[in-house]
Amino acid sequence: MEVTDANVLVARVKERDTGAFEALYDAHHRLVYGVAFRMLADRPAAEDVTQTVFLKLWNSPELFRGGNFAAWIVRVTRNRALDLIRSRATRNEGELPESLPEQEAIEDVAFARIDAERVRSALAMLPVEQREPIELGFFGGITHEEIARRSGTPLGTIKTRIRSGLRKLRDALDQAVTA
Amino acid sequence: MSDRIHEFLDDVAVYALGAMPAAEAQRVRDHMATCAECREEYALLKAAVAAVGQSAETPAADAPSCPSTLLKPRIMRAIRETIKPAVQAVPTSPARDNRSILRPAYLVAAACLAIAVVSSITDIVLTGQLKQAQTEIARLSTRSTTLAANLADTRTTLADLVDADSKHYPINGGEVVTHVGRVYVAMHELPQLPHGKVYQAWTLAKGAKKVAPSVTFVPNARGVAVIAIPIDARSTAAVALSVEPEGGSKQPTTKPIALVPLT
Repeated sequence: MEVTDANVLVARVKERDTGAFEALYDAHHRLVYGVAFRMLADRPAAEDVTQTVFLKLWNSPELFRGGNFAAWIVRVTRNRALDLIRSRATRNEGELPESLPEQEAIEDVAFARIDAERVRSALAMLPVEQREPIELGFFGGITHEEIARRSGTPLGTIKTRIRSGLRKLRDALDQAVTA
Repeated sequence: MSDRIHEFLDDVAVYALGAMPAAEAQRVRDHMATCAECREEYALLKAAVAAVGQSAETPAADAPSCPSTLLKPRIMRAIRETIKPAVQAVPTSPARDNRSILRPAYLVAAACLAIAVVSSITDIVLTGQLKQAQTEIARLSTRSTTLAANLADTRTTLADLVDADSKHYPINGGEVVTHVGRVYVAMHELPQLPHGKVYQAWTLAKGAKKVAPSVTFVPNARGVAVIAIPIDARSTAAVALSVEPEGGSKQPTTKPIALVPLT
């Protein structure tokens, strides 16, 4: 789904258009469920989070302020999954701000169109010592300090690896989009 | 570029990933407000982080890792309920006592001031409590909708399993049951699996030569599992079960423990 399509559909959701909501669900439910399942490894819990996220979209569509809808809904999903993880074990995970206005940068728009398989391939190309902390930080819902502790790696090294990995991923996706 | 800036840029990356504790995240936000280079780095990496999230999207053809087909109707039902016209009660005003009572002006002013101060304080406290209550009500409402939908699904399953018109296909440790197009695997003596293994259902469409992957599941501690298979029984030739690695497989990797032709 094009970014502009999603923006138009969200505007229609604000006007209580169930057809627009259904179109957004059809286009994004596998993304929302996929993120929740990856984080929770529990099908009923992932479905619970998927339902919560889409009901939130319906009840508070104004929280999305335009730009990359897929990126926004991933942040909302991740935060809901983190809530669930926290309720299972008290931890101090970092959240991604949901209400932060998405920048209308062309890069965001370009990445919004990118195929998940292509991102998986780009991630797979990263050295394992960079890929692991990125995936653990995002899907594992743990802090960089915990990643450093678990891997027995100095904190500064983990931070540098996260940044290097994200930069490489960014470069690879830039090339994939312009190719 | 100084080492100090390098350090901040690394922090910006961790912040963009969402892997930073709240207190530290605030420090990075404060810094970014005054540092154009870090804001630029954040914008650059934020898009990469968004892509990391998108990598988790489940492929359309990968049925075992997709949400249940019952989820969409459940959500659509919930949102349609919110747009039913609400009946609003018209509040009736109590009869007002219009008798005028004369008081010295300064007493009235002092009383008004006192009332205003007390009201303001009460307002602040009540507003806070109201917001908390609204948040809790919204959370409970969502939970209640989910539970009600789950209960409705469970009732449908139970009704199908005991309906006289249901077809029962016994297998070792349980049975496959079909009713009005719906398919269930109902097991009561399913052995526990080692860590990292799950049971996976497979379906063979009529006229097809290869089985398609379906849901994965594990039994409860007593070996019981009742699973709805998201497929129409009328277009299905057979259902099979096998043991697969966690997350399911695209093709069976072990010999099926049950193979049931649906007649």
